This record gives sequence, C-alpha cells and structure tokens, in this order.
Amino acid sequence: MTPIKNPCRPRHFKPAPCAPLPVDEKTQRTLEAGRSRLFVIGGLFAAVFGVIALRLVDVTLFRPEESRLAQAHLAPRAVEVSRADIVDRNGTILATTLVTPSLYANPKLITDPAGTARRLAAAFPDLLEGELYAKLASNKSFVWVKRHLTPREQQTVLELGIPGLEFQREERRVYPHGPLAAHVVGYTGIDNKGLAGIERGFDEVLSQSKEPLQLSIDLRVQHVLREELQRSIDEFSAIGGTAIVMDVRNGEIAGLVSLPDFDPNRPGTATPERIFNRATLGVYEMGSTFKLFNTAMALDAGASRLTSSYDATKPIRVGRFTIDDYHPKRRWLTVPEIFKYSSNIGSVKMALEAGVERQKEFFRRIGFLGAPTIEIPETAAPLVPSPWREVNAMTISFGYGMSVTPMHLVDGTAAMVNGGILRQPTLLKRPDDYLPSGQQVISPRTSDAMRRLLRLVVEQGTGSYANAPGYLVGGKTGTAEKASGKGYARKALLSSFVGAFPMNEPRYVVLVMVDEPHGTKKTFGYATAGWVAAPAVGRIVPRIAPLLGVSPVDEAAPEIRRAVAIDMPGPQVNKVASN
Amino acid sequence: MSIGIEIERPRPSLLAKLGSISWPLVLLLTLIAACGFVTLYSAAGGSLSPWAGRQMMRYAVAVVMMICVALVDIRTWRKLAYPIYGVTFLLLVAVEIRGEIGMGAQRWIDLGVIQLQPSELMKIALILALARYFHGLSYEDVGKPWRLVPPAFLVLAPAVLVLKQPDLGTAGKLMMCGGAIFFLVGVRIWKFAVLFVGFAAALPFAWNHLRDYQKNRVYTFLDPESDPLGTGYHIIQSKIALGSGGIFGKGYMQGSQAHLNFLPEKQTDFIFTMLAEEWGLVGGLFVLGLYTLVFIYGLAIALRVRNHFGRILAMGITVNFFLYMFINTAMVMGLIPVVGVPLALVSYGGTAMLTVLFGWGLVMSAWVHRDVRIGLRGESLDD
Repeated sequence: MTPIKNPCRPRHFKPAPCAPLPVDEKTQRTLEAGRSRLFVIGGLFAAVFGVIALRLVDVTLFRPEESRLAQAHLAPRAVEVSRADIVDRNGTILATTLVTPSLYANPKLITDPAGTARRLAAAFPDLLEGELYAKLASNKSFVWVKRHLTPREQQTVLELGIPGLEFQREERRVYPHGPLAAHVVGYTGIDNKGLAGIERGFDEVLSQSKEPLQLSIDLRVQHVLREELQRSIDEFSAIGGTAIVMDVRNGEIAGLVSLPDFDPNRPGTATPERIFNRATLGVYEMGSTFKLFNTAMALDAGASRLTSSYDATKPIRVGRFTIDDYHPKRRWLTVPEIFKYSSNIGSVKMALEAGVERQKEFFRRIGFLGAPTIEIPETAAPLVPSPWREVNAMTISFGYGMSVTPMHLVDGTAAMVNGGILRQPTLLKRPDDYLPSGQQVISPRTSDAMRRLLRLVVEQGTGSYANAPGYLVGGKTGTAEKASGKGYARKALLSSFVGAFPMNEPRYVVLVMVDEPHGTKKTFGYATAGWVAAPAVGRIVPRIAPLLGVSPVDEAAPEIRRAVAIDMPGPQVNKVASN
Repeated sequence: MSIGIEIERPRPSLLAKLGSISWPLVLLLTLIAACGFVTLYSAAGGSLSPWAGRQMMRYAVAVVMMICVALVDIRTWRKLAYPIYGVTFLLLVAVEIRGEIGMGAQRWIDLGVIQLQPSELMKIALILALARYFHGLSYEDVGKPWRLVPPAFLVLAPAVLVLKQPDLGTAGKLMMCGGAIFFLVGVRIWKFAVLFVGFAAALPFAWNHLRDYQKNRVYTFLDPESDPLGTGYHIIQSKIALGSGGIFGKGYMQGSQAHLNFLPEKQTDFIFTMLAEEWGLVGGLFVLGLYTLVFIYGLAIALRVRNHFGRILAMGITVNFFLYMFINTAMVMGLIPVVGVPLALVSYGGTAMLTVLFGWGLVMSAWVHRDVRIGLRGESLDD
C-alpha cells in the first residue's frame, strides 16, 4: 500500500488507521490458535483410518474365525464315557458327555489342615478357607473339595503337591448349543439320569449304547425357527409361542421350538414356565385352523362337495350364544369361500350336515382323541367334550370346545395334504429310504382338494402374508380367544398358522403359534393370525427350504397352476354350473 | 479503499453463490450414497424394493435440502443456532416423557410423514450451539474455567437425556463430538487430563448403571466366542462374512452370509460387512477411500474459512461424520463392542441421512461464505 500524496486533501481528513480493528485482532488470534489444534485432529483422523484399513485387511485376508471353527469340528473323541451322545440329523452334537476330575480329600492323611485349606482357598477363590478347614480337620476319610474341575484347575492342584488330595473321575453332561433344542433334547440331573425330553425318553438306550443317538431335527432349521418365532414374540409383546416343521412323507420332525426356553446345562436355574413344552404338552383351543379338518371331514364323507353352498346370511343362535362370522358376508357361500373367508356359520352348517357321529369318528381316526405319540415324555391328552352333543359338534367345527396340542395339529395337517395318510410323528431320524406304514384317513381326492383350498387361503385369503415366492405355501390361519374362567378373553389371543409347502407336492408342514400377541402400530392394532403367525411362516419358509432341499418353482407355470388352482364360482354361477 | 471512498460491497447473487458451492464435495457424497444404493439393491435380493428405491428418493430430497442450507447466509445460521438447539432439546424431552408412558426404548416422534429421531438432530444442534458460544470467546477467554461451564452444560444435558432412552452409542457420540470442539477452540490440555482421570474414576460406578444388554455387549466384545449363539452371534457372523470376501469379494449379489440371512441387520448397521463380503477388501478400501476424501475436504474447508463460527461448525460436522464412520466400521470388524450406529449415507434410514446432509449443507454454507468476517458479537466486519 503506497501512500498517495493527495494535494487536494482537506485539512480535517484523517487517514483510516492502518492496523485492523482491535476486535478483528482478537478474532485473528483465536483463529490462529484453532489452526494448530485442527492439524492435531486431522492427524488423529489419519491414524484411526490407518487402524481401520489395517483391520479390514486383517479380517478379509486372514481368516481366524473360519479356521478355528473348522478345527472345532475335527476334535477327536478318545475317551470312553458311559452315556451316548445325541446328535442332530447332520451329526452335529446336541448332547455329549465330558470326563471331568473331581477333587476330594482324605482328612486322615492330611497333616496340615490349616495350611492345606489356605493354599486351596488361594487356588480356588470360590471356596471359603473356613469351610475347607472344617472339612479337612474332620474325622472322616472322604470329603468332596470341588467337583468337575477343568484340566487347568487339576494341574494347579497337582502342582500344590499336597498328600491326601485325590481325584475322582466323573462325567458331566454338556449341551453345546444351549437352549437351541432344549425342549427336544431335554436334560439330565446331577447323576446323569435323564429327566426330560429325549434324555428321559431314551434314558436306558443312551446309558447302554455307545453309538450316538441321531435325531430327526436339523439344528439349522431349529435356529431359523427360534429366531423368527422370537422375533414375532418380541414384535407383538407375546408371552410365548411354538413352531414346528415336519416332513409330511415320513413324519420326521425337522424342527421343534417352544419359547420361552431354558439352558439345559443349567436346568436348575430355569423357571417351570420356561421348561414347559408348548408344542407337545400344552393343549389349546385352536380356533379356525380346525376348519381344515372340518372341511376335510365333510368333503371326505361326501356330505359336502367343493361346489356346495351354504346359507351364511345370518348368525346362528344356540341357546344364549350367537355364532357369527369375523368377516360377515351375509350371503350364500361355497365351500371354498367358507374356507377362504373362514366363515364360522358355514363351518357349523357343514358339520351339522355331516353329523355328530361322523365328526367324532373322524377326529378319532386322525388321532385327536389321544395324547400325541412321540418319543418325549412331555405329552398331554387332549380335552375332549363328553358327552359329544350337537352343540359340541357346532363349536368344534370352528375350533372351540376341544383342546389339542400343536403337535396334533401338525400331524393332522400332514395327513390332510400328503395324499391322506396319517403317520406317527417322530423325533428320530428314519433310515433314508424307509417309509413307515400309515393309515389312510382321507381319500387322495379329498387330500388334493385340501391342497387347493389351503393354497387359496394364502393366494387370496387371510394367510397372504405367509406367501414366500416360489415355494407355493398353503395354509390356514387361526385366531382363538383364550378361555379365561367361564368365558373367553377378547384380548388374550392365540394366533396360529398351520400350512405346508410346496402345495403342488407338499414336503413339509410348518406351524407357528404365538401366545397372547398384542397388536402394533404396523399391524393397525391387529393381533390376529394373518398379521402375527402368517408373516412368521412367510419368513421361515424361504430360509429353511434351501436347507431342506426344496427348490423354488415357477408359480405361473401351467402344470403348477393345474396342481394348485381352484375354481372359484360365485354362488350365482354355481347354480348355473350345477344345473 | 485508502482513497477514502467506501464502496458498498454488492451482496453476491444467488446464482453466484450456487456456483461457489463445492460441487466436488457434492459428487463425493453422492458416490458414497451410491455405494449404499448398490448394496441395498443386492440386500433385497436384486430388487429396488423395499430399500434401494426409497433410499434413492430420500437422497434426492436430502441433497436439495443440503443445497438450500448451503445457500443460507452463515450469519443467519449463527443467529438461529440457539433457537434450533432449544427446539431440539424440547423434542428430546418430549420423547423422554412419551418413553416413560410406553415401554423400553422410545426414540421416535411420529410426525406422520416421517418419524423423527431427535437424538440424531441433536448432534447438529449441539455443534451449532457450541460453535456460536465459542465464537464469542477469544483464546484468552477460553482459558478461564468458568467460561466453560455453559458449553459443558450444553453437551451434558442432551447426553444425559439420550443416555436415559437408553441409547449408549448416541450419547457417547454427543460427548465425543462436544469434546472435539472443546479441543479445537483451545481448551487447555490439562483440563482434558483432569476430565479423563475423573472419567476413569467414575467408570465402576457407571458400570453398575448399565442395562444388562449393554453389559452383555461389552462382555461379548471381550470374548465373542463365549456366546456364539447369543450376543456374540453378530460379531462372529460379521467376521466370517468379511473373511469369506477375500481380496476381490464373492461378486455382486453373491454374498452367501448376507443373502442366507446369517448376517443380521444387513441393510442397516452391518451394511459395510455385506459390501465387503461381495466386493472384498478392494470394495471396502474403496469406500474407506471415499470417506477419507470427504474428511480431507471437511478439514480443508475448516482451515480456509475466515470466521471462527464457520470454522468450528465445519470442524464439528466433519468430526461427527467421522465418528459415524469410525464407530460403525470398527464395530462390524470387532474392534469395539456392538453399538447400534449406522454407516453414514450408506445404511438404510431416513433420519440419519437427512441429518448428515443437513450437516454438510452447513459446512458448504461455511465454505460459500468463507470470507465473511463476523465479530465476536456477531457484527459483520466487512460490510
């Protein structure tokens, strides 16, 4: 800035001060102070980036996880134990026995009880020196010091070199997957006697055999079921639930979960509520899923045909009760419509047309009048009306007045879709090409009709959220109000979906039941099966199908449509057609 | 000017301002977001719904918003700083009250159109408020301890509220972001040392106040294999996914860990894992590289801005963005415990994206108005 001499400058003019304003100077200094700190932060950024990039190289190129997991599978079994392992259908260990040393003392051989007690208490912080001293100074010749030591703990004791301390070889049952299959595998007591589940059902076999006992369940399926069921329970703040997957061809259970569950490694800490097996020991009024059996019964007896229609224009009054529909149509409905809209009125009329005796006989035939025959001791007999009158027949037609276990529902559904053959469900893996004998309970023709009806419910009806593209899921929803005292609790619901896939040639039955779900904002407050249980099945099927060897199909292919489609004539058209 | 004739400097036209926006930065942010679209498309099994399509729409809206924010004068933002902080704080309190009525973690306010997460907004509001406060202090002022009481309160009040929600990750980020700004404005190092010692002493006490699930996450972090089916599941699956990616990855839409659902939350918190599984080390480093460029940009802007407010603002936003990225990537690779923090711009989610781009809009506003000088009390010095 060269100063310009201005000859015309007036006398009173003072040049502006060259220095910046004082305020500006302060600002300037503050800015400069910040600058160095900025570089420090920039340096920190660079360092952290370096760490992250290095870590990325570390985890992508050197795979410590995989190699460690691979080693775990190769662990050899060298020690003889007195109880056989339990494995899943792929050979993954569900229950095994570990040999552990237990430490005991012979007080008569211990010369210095006080010193021994002090040194043992130092080695095992969970033991109290005072108690140890009392034991070691006693006049017995055998006292337990600590049971089930780890190898390292045993080494520590050996290094103490105290005479009078001895080891006893003991065995301990271990469940490496914890709660994942708790209700199937069960657990044992302190003396390794089976107290529940397969452990109890096969107690004798397990304690005599050396070969591992192979179950039909697949741990991967088990994991999917547990995760998705838990998700539904969390989402709808439910109190529990159960999920089952069964092979319709041979009755093998591929997965069975009951929530809440427990850790069989520590059964003593579990509440009875957690140990309770909802899948086989809980009996429930199932609600609309029973219409599956009502419809099959009516069709198979020839009392109804797919083209028959029933008057659903007004509710039915029985004594002081009124039977009405959840989605009233107030018109004549065909059998497929009754099924699709889950009409109570239509179901009652179908049951009455078939007759009380026929209904009772049908439920006896599909095994709903006795406890489920399965290899675990936790089973319960159904609650069946006695005497079985017309009013019972009416309520049973839509799933009230008779309580069965979820296992019944699964087994019955398998028979409805597999060509009509009822086979005993099993938790043991069957030999590969062995097909157990079964009883023909409905005709193959009725079974074919049931497949189409079940697919209809998912394609157009209440079960649409159970759809899984390519897997042709079919099934029936059921939302039951739970009995409370003398009446029914409107708010305490039992939402279930039972179905099978793929419907053109069913391979597996899937059941999801959620106990006391509550509606959420996402479901507009509904806690009915279509919103709660059906979506869970819709999530489960695409995850387990690849594991179970079921490939997706082209749903629009003509041969598939022929196998699962159903004529849906309205009542009007129906009359013309039947003329 | 020494001639003595004051010329009124013309206010730059809107068009000129638009031209002076740092478009390369916009491009970089868009590239990062595009990595997200591509990965979300794959996460949905090769479909725009339910994630990729919506995410793209949100990004489009958010970018327009970012440009608008950038065009607003930095002095206006300075004036608005405290009101914005106040309103956000009230929203946070509102969420707290509603959370008491509902159960568990309540972090949302439903506005009908979008669900607003005030704790996200709070990060920006806090940076704005701190920038305004420290703008009014000289370096000497910062040395006086009592001058630090109001800003400490500005940081702690929302942090405590967020901690009560309970959202440990966000609370931690608010504290760290505040700490970084304190450092930047020249708070003396020994004060940080005192704070650190105090924090270490309070740690056992704080531990007792953690929720069980939070304690579990720390335990699991220390030894993920101890509980491979429970809380350790996330980290183990994530590491397996990363390891199976290798150098070049399994190929787009071929990531089995992610597609078979072994990887949880693949569209939100664990999206980086999914990306690295499919694109490998190369893809992961590419994304990290993009982030690095953005940070360099943020730092460069902070260095160049001639007013204190803009500099603190630019720095604060950059640090915040950095924390997002650091916590998320470090978490999925098992460097720190699992905390629910999304990967900025890449993870699926509306509020996070809006907040991040709003923040970068402020940085750009600081850049566009970089030569504006603001006095300690807010008066413009060169108009």
